[in-house]
Amino acid sequence: MSNKKGRWVIEALGLLLSLVVIIPFYMILVNSFKNKEDAALVNLHAPTQWQAISNYITMFQEGGVWTAFKNSILLTVPSVLVIILLCAMTAFVLQRRKHKASSLMSSLIVLGLFVPGQIIPTYFICQYLHVSSFLAAALVLIAANIPMGVFLYMGFCKSIPTEIDESAILDGCSPLRLFFQIIYPLLQPITVTLFIITFMAIWNDFGTTIYFLNNTKNFTLTLTIFNFFGVHSSDWNLVFANVIIVSLPVIIVYFLAQKQIISGMTAGAVKG
Amino acid sequence: MPKQLKNIYAYWLVIPCFLIYGLFFLLPSVMGLGISFLNIRSFNFSSASFAGLQNYINVFTDSYLNIAIKNSFIFAIVTTVLKVVLGMILAVFLNTKLKTTNLLRTVFFLPAVLSSVAVGLIFTAMMHPTRGIINVFLNTIGLDVLAQNWLTNPHIAIFSVAFIEVWKWTGFTMVILLAGLQTIPESYYEAAEIDGATAWMKFKFVTFPLIMPAFTNALVVNLIGGLKAFDIVQSVTQGGPGSATEVFGTLVYKSFGSGRYGEGTAASIILCVVVLLVVLPVYKFLSNKEVEM
Repeated sequence: MSNKKGRWVIEALGLLLSLVVIIPFYMILVNSFKNKEDAALVNLHAPTQWQAISNYITMFQEGGVWTAFKNSILLTVPSVLVIILLCAMTAFVLQRRKHKASSLMSSLIVLGLFVPGQIIPTYFICQYLHVSSFLAAALVLIAANIPMGVFLYMGFCKSIPTEIDESAILDGCSPLRLFFQIIYPLLQPITVTLFIITFMAIWNDFGTTIYFLNNTKNFTLTLTIFNFFGVHSSDWNLVFANVIIVSLPVIIVYFLAQKQIISGMTAGAVKG
Repeated sequence: MPKQLKNIYAYWLVIPCFLIYGLFFLLPSVMGLGISFLNIRSFNFSSASFAGLQNYINVFTDSYLNIAIKNSFIFAIVTTVLKVVLGMILAVFLNTKLKTTNLLRTVFFLPAVLSSVAVGLIFTAMMHPTRGIINVFLNTIGLDVLAQNWLTNPHIAIFSVAFIEVWKWTGFTMVILLAGLQTIPESYYEAAEIDGATAWMKFKFVTFPLIMPAFTNALVVNLIGGLKAFDIVQSVTQGGPGSATEVFGTLVYKSFGSGRYGEGTAASIILCVVVLLVVLPVYKFLSNKEVEM
């Protein structure tokens, strides 16, 4: 009896605490539907005058959202695909080879999990190689996400028995076919996880893109928030509409693929 | 092993990966060490001159630059402690089977998937001195004294930004700890109960020692995250007011913007050393305390 009561208390307490997360979301949503004067008060009241559609239309026209959306896709999709391919190949070889060279390479990769990147020297290198804008941002983001990818794939490769490789080779399979036709399909569960978490990491990136994409024409969606607020700092209704639109894809992906996102984002942090 | 099996794991498969990783991560790290000793103001090494330790001396002595070091530590420690403590409380509560367990886990993790810029902007609005809902709420419940100029008062701005970081990542920390909790077999608690253990004793003698690995990782991940912080600070205060919320990340960005590449690089080398100095001992110390299951 007292146990049941205790549960109710915990349940109520939990819901109450969740308001700390829910209220900010509710606040941006409701204010994105208001007119300029009401939204300036940034409170939680219902709109006195609904401007839902017109706010979003204005924001789309002025925020460069379409261009930014295309830029975000252009930067994110190829980068993620490259990360998946390179990390899977590398992890497979490094996990299978028991060599001094391979363990040194693994250590170099693991180092990247916690050592912060040196952005200014990276910029120097990009200048010398004459890569700029999207290509530079993509290469730097790929490099930054490689440690996580290799780490995840190496963990997963351990669970694939080496007998598979040996019997395939003895049956006359070439090493290349072994990887692409036999091993790679077996990696699919972790590929899905990695796809989603690197997609979100690059989509949401600010720390790298702010250095390389410095012109409204090549802004990603995430950068438009920063820029849009600078230009429209008194139009909270439009600013919030912008935040909603930019965050919506990520939130939808989160609700669709929660498990993979949580397991992927925390994989590097949980042993076993 | 038959001969033909020796070369099935061809090293050339790792080349493309190491080419990119080497050029855009490893090489910059090494080069950074070199650049930090140069007096260089353009992306051209021919105009550079050797500066000795001058860049490091500047970072350590210039008050504007050295406040960043202090703030980074405050930020990292405050956020880590709060995230781990709150994350632990949430994890312990949500490890029980409630009707709303799954819903609550989903909600608490949600902020972790948003971009820092979006989160920063939401809190810029919420922390507005007169209209922001935080102060409006405090005034309504009669706690006007607690209402602050959260982001414009130089004494508390860094803590306000730390609070935003905590809001974003507590759910993430909770999930790491929750994963640790779920590896503890139910039978351990049953045994403890038979021995007459109280709830606190069960936590102290069963739960805590057994989630040490997860705890270590939560601590290390958050410390590194706190020291590296850039996004949230840049999007909320850009290091201001004045230099009140300057951290390593914003300092490097400012040095980059003003062309002081040597100093910026020195700051980021210092950050690197600090991360290694903080993380490795913490990791070692806590790993020793882990118990085998």
